[in-house]
Amino acid sequence: MFGPIGILIALIVLTIVLVAAFLVRPSVTSGTAGKILAFIALCALPALCIGAGMFTHMQRSEQTKFCISCHAMENYGKSLYVDDAKYLPAQHFQNHRVPPEEACYACHADYTIYGPLKDKLAGVTRIYTQYISKPPTHITIPGGFNNHQCLRCHGGARNFEANPVHEALMDSLTSNQMSCISSGCHDTVHSASEVNNLKMWRPVQ
Amino acid sequence: MRFTGIGIDKFLRVAGVLIILGLIVEIISLLRVHPLMFALFAFVGVSLIGLGILVYLASLVFAAGTPQKVDSPR
Repeated sequence: MFGPIGILIALIVLTIVLVAAFLVRPSVTSGTAGKILAFIALCALPALCIGAGMFTHMQRSEQTKFCISCHAMENYGKSLYVDDAKYLPAQHFQNHRVPPEEACYACHADYTIYGPLKDKLAGVTRIYTQYISKPPTHITIPGGFNNHQCLRCHGGARNFEANPVHEALMDSLTSNQMSCISSGCHDTVHSASEVNNLKMWRPVQ
Repeated sequence: MRFTGIGIDKFLRVAGVLIILGLIVEIISLLRVHPLMFALFAFVGVSLIGLGILVYLASLVFAAGTPQKVDSPR
């Protein structure tokens, strides 16, 4: 009940109370103990609140519900429930091959705000596109889907490496010269534009 | 450099108000899991808190003098 968010909110409230004390009685800082307390209340604790807040927000942004809360991502979220084994994201989500509560992040960990600084900035521009500009009708991943996202889990797995097609193409797959989602391979992914016409799987509550 | 007209108490008040506003924004941003809440925290909350910390640190360097104790000992 009193999880990490509760602890963070308690820390923020404690900081607010301490800072408010200095607002009401700034003369407290005239003594040495007051100066130390002022440093804790007005510098150390707020800096800790920024760090803990940023960490919490980054953790929350890995959640599936965070990603699909944007209107542009709605159909991508629906595509996780398509009742057809050909649909790669749906198959992974429904069979728990990825954690369902972090389904987007599991396969797009190098993308937007999760990757290096360049990707984090690109992620922020997507927030701008969603709320200030206009999202594109057809959404694409800049640079294409990186096979590393598949190989993080499948690389080294017996049934993946024993497959003769994978075996023959292994160098092209690991060097990202050939995409795992190329035509003829695992090419049925989100198909967001068609998702409203497809049969959906309803999980048992 | 000294801001002779500005005492440390004024610096502390400004820093305190900025930090409290930033922390309130942070609490609001934690109420929902949504990209806008992330943006609210990252751009508004962090800026307010960071500015408050900077004003406090500036007070250590630039403030005119330490405030007098309001309640003096008998």
